[in-house]
Amino acid sequence: MKARWDIFCCVVDNYGDIGVTWRLARQLVAEQGLAVRLWVDDLKAFVRICPEAQADVAQQWQQGVDVRQWPSDWQDTSVADVVIGAFACQLPPAYVQAMLEQPRAPLWLNLDYLSAEDWVEGCHGLPSPQANGLRKVFFFPGFTAKTGGLLREASLLPRRQAFEQDPAARKAFLQGLGVTPERNARLISLFAYENPGVASWLDALAADCRANHLLVPEGRVLGDVQAWLGEQALSVGSIARRGALTVQILPFVSQDDYDRLLWCCDFNAVRGEDSFVRAQWAARPLLWHIYVQEEYAHWEKLEAFLDLYIQGLSAPAGAALVQLWRAWNMDNDMGQAWQQVLAHWDELDQHARRWSAVQAAQPDLATALVQFYRNWL
Amino acid sequence: MKTGKELKPGTVLRIDNDPWLVQKTEFTKSGRNSAIMKTKLKNLLTGYKTETVYGADDKLDDVILDRKEATLSFISGDSFTFMDTTDYTMYELNAEDIEAVLPYIEEGMEDVCEAVFFEGRLVSVELPTTISRQVVYTENAARGDTSGKVMKPAKLKNGTEISVADFIQIDEWIDIDTRDNSFKGRSKK
Repeated sequence: MKARWDIFCCVVDNYGDIGVTWRLARQLVAEQGLAVRLWVDDLKAFVRICPEAQADVAQQWQQGVDVRQWPSDWQDTSVADVVIGAFACQLPPAYVQAMLEQPRAPLWLNLDYLSAEDWVEGCHGLPSPQANGLRKVFFFPGFTAKTGGLLREASLLPRRQAFEQDPAARKAFLQGLGVTPERNARLISLFAYENPGVASWLDALAADCRANHLLVPEGRVLGDVQAWLGEQALSVGSIARRGALTVQILPFVSQDDYDRLLWCCDFNAVRGEDSFVRAQWAARPLLWHIYVQEEYAHWEKLEAFLDLYIQGLSAPAGAALVQLWRAWNMDNDMGQAWQQVLAHWDELDQHARRWSAVQAAQPDLATALVQFYRNWL
Repeated sequence: MKTGKELKPGTVLRIDNDPWLVQKTEFTKSGRNSAIMKTKLKNLLTGYKTETVYGADDKLDDVILDRKEATLSFISGDSFTFMDTTDYTMYELNAEDIEAVLPYIEEGMEDVCEAVFFEGRLVSVELPTTISRQVVYTENAARGDTSGKVMKPAKLKNGTEISVADFIQIDEWIDIDTRDNSFKGRSKK
């Protein structure tokens, strides 16, 4: 009998919660043959990343995953063998009680946030004995062998490589989005939170001697792009040109199409957690807009990742990348920092490929979770 | 009940009916304004030690403990003897039991501590929120900064290093906040 896994996803804001849990659920079904229920409290967010889904049904099957509306009025349901609470979400008290009443309590995992900070290794896999007698385990994704790894489907990198070697597929994909970049134009994707730094970066792109084609999927950064362009209302399909820069607004695409978009681009600006990881698998130079936390806690997380990521880069190239990321996340001028990145482009490009390969040599998060369950059994 | 973020060394949790002493805590912001508390626990019945992680909002059963005032009497190797200030009873703890406050334990300290008892047995000691310690070594101030914003390392009598304001000099006494190990200012003593 297949092991049954329940994943609970509370959508707090944006698409990181649902993005990660949906990706994990799909992978557990497709590659591990598990029976997975994904409980989501906001199906509207789910529909954005899985357009085939419906936002108003209690249960639906999507790509082999039993997707359930997580109701505010919880109904009794069977308890799974493995229960994952994503990002510290609180499980329904009645479900926790049902876990307690099982002859053998399920494996209860708290799947936490991604961070490159040192403390993650020391906390990954530690138990959390609860007052009610249940034992939760903290499971941390990460970039090193002593963490839970990153979400990566087994076929992801071969698919990327095949796509890269097939110019016709690339062209067809872009054309499907209405994108026909100028020959030799630098293709850049932009997915970010609101960011005043956009203006100085777009200034630099517009003043470039090479054509830049910026693809902006619908999202929170659109207002800043709009303000820079001086346009009233940008919508999907809008194209605007300023100097060497073409700005094109794209629809919010499915996860698989977003991967292809990242693979098409020469440079990807991403945000949060899910798109950040996908951009690393795309093996292109990237720019991370980190989620802002209270008391600037996010700065330490940004620096921790940079410390890890720039290892193996020459000092000038590493400094250029660090300067760009800091400028982007600390609302500083991007123009000078972008020029420095352009000066080290080839090295940063090769480094992105190397980084992706090094990360891919480690077990992926879904496999690590399943292995953890097997060991627990 | 206590939440994960309220745990501190000296807290005793009841887990599976056993009393577990919190020996050490590390608070960390994990992501998107959520936080975790990594703890080192010791089973007071078996002596078994383990590390755990709690979410900041996890609710835990704590044990109501007896507390008495005590002062450090003497140190002998890894053994620390405290004296009840009211009846002069001597209690001994080893270094692991007071790991969290160990950086500030030194011979001759006069702080009135809180001795924590579980079923009549001393299990931990807590320092006052503010303590004074003498700096035995620090570099001279680089630029004569008096704002208190520029910091530099300083060594205390027992070897503990702490970050202090640039204007602090060797032999001066400083106030330290034991909740976060931060420098508070020059002592009045």
